[in-house]
Amino acid sequence: MKLIKKNIPLAIVSVFGMLTLLTYFVPHKHSVNFLEAMNKWENIVSAFAFFLGLVSLFYSHYAKISRKADGWGYSIFVYIGFLAIAVPAYVSHGKNMDGSVLTFLGWAFQYIYNPLASTMFAVLAFYIVSTAYKSFRIKSPQAFVLFVAAMFLILGNVPLGQMIWDKIFGWTSYAISDIVDWILHVPAIAGKRGIMIGISIGVIVTALKIIFGIERQYLGKD
Amino acid sequence: MSDTFLIAGAWISAGLTIFLFSFLYKDNPFFKVAEHLYLGAGMGWWFQVYLYGVLKPKVWIPLMNHDWMVIIPALLGLSLITQFIPKISWVSRYGFTFLMGYGSGLAIPAYLATDFINQIGGTIQPFANLAGMPAFALFNAILVAVGVICVLIYFFFSVEHKGAIKKASNVGIYFLMIYFGAAFGNTVMARFSLLYGRFDTLYTFSASKYLYATQFILVGMIVYFIAHALMNRGKKETEPAH
Amino acid sequence: MLKEKLNALLKIDRRWIFLGLAVVLFGAIMRPLGLINKKISRDTQNAYDFIDKLPAGSFVILSLDYDPATSPELNPQAMAVARHAFRNNLRVGVVTYAAGATGLIEQLFSVVPAEFKKEYGKDYAIFPYQPNAIATLTQMASDFYGIYDKDKDGKDARSLPVMRGVKNYKNVSLVVCIAGTIMVDWWVQYAGDKYGVPVIAGVTAITQPGYGPYLQKKQLKGLMGGMKGAAEYEHLIQTPGKGTSGIDALSLAHVMVAALIIISNIAIIILKYL
Repeated sequence: MKLIKKNIPLAIVSVFGMLTLLTYFVPHKHSVNFLEAMNKWENIVSAFAFFLGLVSLFYSHYAKISRKADGWGYSIFVYIGFLAIAVPAYVSHGKNMDGSVLTFLGWAFQYIYNPLASTMFAVLAFYIVSTAYKSFRIKSPQAFVLFVAAMFLILGNVPLGQMIWDKIFGWTSYAISDIVDWILHVPAIAGKRGIMIGISIGVIVTALKIIFGIERQYLGKD
Repeated sequence: MSDTFLIAGAWISAGLTIFLFSFLYKDNPFFKVAEHLYLGAGMGWWFQVYLYGVLKPKVWIPLMNHDWMVIIPALLGLSLITQFIPKISWVSRYGFTFLMGYGSGLAIPAYLATDFINQIGGTIQPFANLAGMPAFALFNAILVAVGVICVLIYFFFSVEHKGAIKKASNVGIYFLMIYFGAAFGNTVMARFSLLYGRFDTLYTFSASKYLYATQFILVGMIVYFIAHALMNRGKKETEPAH
Repeated sequence: MLKEKLNALLKIDRRWIFLGLAVVLFGAIMRPLGLINKKISRDTQNAYDFIDKLPAGSFVILSLDYDPATSPELNPQAMAVARHAFRNNLRVGVVTYAAGATGLIEQLFSVVPAEFKKEYGKDYAIFPYQPNAIATLTQMASDFYGIYDKDKDGKDARSLPVMRGVKNYKNVSLVVCIAGTIMVDWWVQYAGDKYGVPVIAGVTAITQPGYGPYLQKKQLKGLMGGMKGAAEYEHLIQTPGKGTSGIDALSLAHVMVAALIIISNIAIIILKYL
């Protein structure tokens, strides 16, 4: 039983991991064909992975409704929201436009899904402003450097900020856009590059641990 | 699409937008309804994309054309769903291990080449043209090289940060602060851009063509909050003092 | 007295700040200031120049990987690049790895091609969403049709006139990836670096500072960042759109944020020494 529950899955990780890694270095036709097949398989398996999340969401809200837990009435709207997109999708066969005319799905996308998704993230703008006002405190030299860099970017990104800079510091003959360009192409690169190199080392080490079976958290409990 | 559908769409869109924004004043049932609708609609959207974009053309149609090879990835994909049945949840390991092995194998050379070797190369490369470099370009190249090394020293925790290492690490912090400051400044623009998009839509739907959808819904929400505040004040007044 | 006033100022109910921001932004939409960016950033100029120098008939992959949440920043970029490509008679193949982009893509291409009298199938084609980008990007190196055998309508991709002579990356002159996610990194890693395909990116303002290393190493040939990048590109193609009007509207809001941060810190300093 241990063979099919643990050893074979670990063997699958190692074999597919090593073979996929080798395809990067082997330009032979068989290597290319193998990668093509694996790419197709990956597309299909990833699509099924989504259904995990869908089943989990439906199950948790169904449990809330059946238990009549606090706020259970709102859980009904999860199903309503789902049907508000799924039914138009079925009617329109997954098409948003029919030529230049909006289909039922296109309508649902433009007037239901789009506003909901966009507004959820747009709300963050308000919190950024209030948090900047209440929490952005210059308490150290490092915080001051962060503040200066942020100010240059906040003002330099908009025409009014550029005009204000020109009015106050125009005598320096440097536009704020030049300073913003320099910040993004010199010191910010140094910061980001260090982070990138660090992350890449982490990713490579973790991937090797997965392929060699040292990292097994994703298998879950035995 | 007929005008009725467009006007109905405008009212729904403006309504959902204003319901979500109403949370900024106070949590309320309209916000909760919109929030749960978003959850469901988001899943509905992804569901139809996967169904019509992947499962139908890449699994169903090949199976109808007797391409039996797609059964293997389909079974691997279905195995993932056994996670919900504790007795046979071990079957999902087959699907997960395929995904993990494939992803790990692809990631190693990609990150090695692009985010490791190329970045080190990019730091050293400007010095290859040392002779013909203007002074400011040379200064910039040295600044980037010093910055990258100091940031890497900051993240190197295997050695105790003291003496020269601590000084270099502190320099690295300043470079990180410049990067985070630049990122914050741009984040402000990014978030405001999203807000502009929504306000622009609300402004569009405030026209007579859409029967002043934005105005009516906004006034409706304000009336709700005032009525709610008055009702709660009334309730507080009728409660006996303790 | 001053101390109480400053404390009250620092402890102000944040809902007043929300209202102030809403008024400033909505007001700027109702009454535009009419300001434009004074200078075009180097990276946007490089992106424009690269596309402008492509010979007519070159095949360009447009990878539009954003969803409604990031569309106010990225949709204007996509429209500007699509307009530029059609104006220069480039052939365009549209792909996406973001599930939320499919609707936006169909809406964009129901408007822009008609401005240049471009026909679907002959001048451009749209391919269906693929969930696993890395698998697809590596596949396209050997055979584009291994993944994209059919277009979004189920037609045979090889039969489309726009795809004539296109088999893999060797036949692709440029990839323009407009993404709110890590998609740009994957295009650089799995296509640009490995197979030498030129890549230009359009990204959100949040992620823009992170692409400096790729630009410096020429792994990216150009970059548009956020709404400012969209406004700059619209200025270069001389077709103002939502990017231009957006950056104009954002002006007052940005100045408001800067002012609030400065005021709060000055108040703290004054309180410290009172």
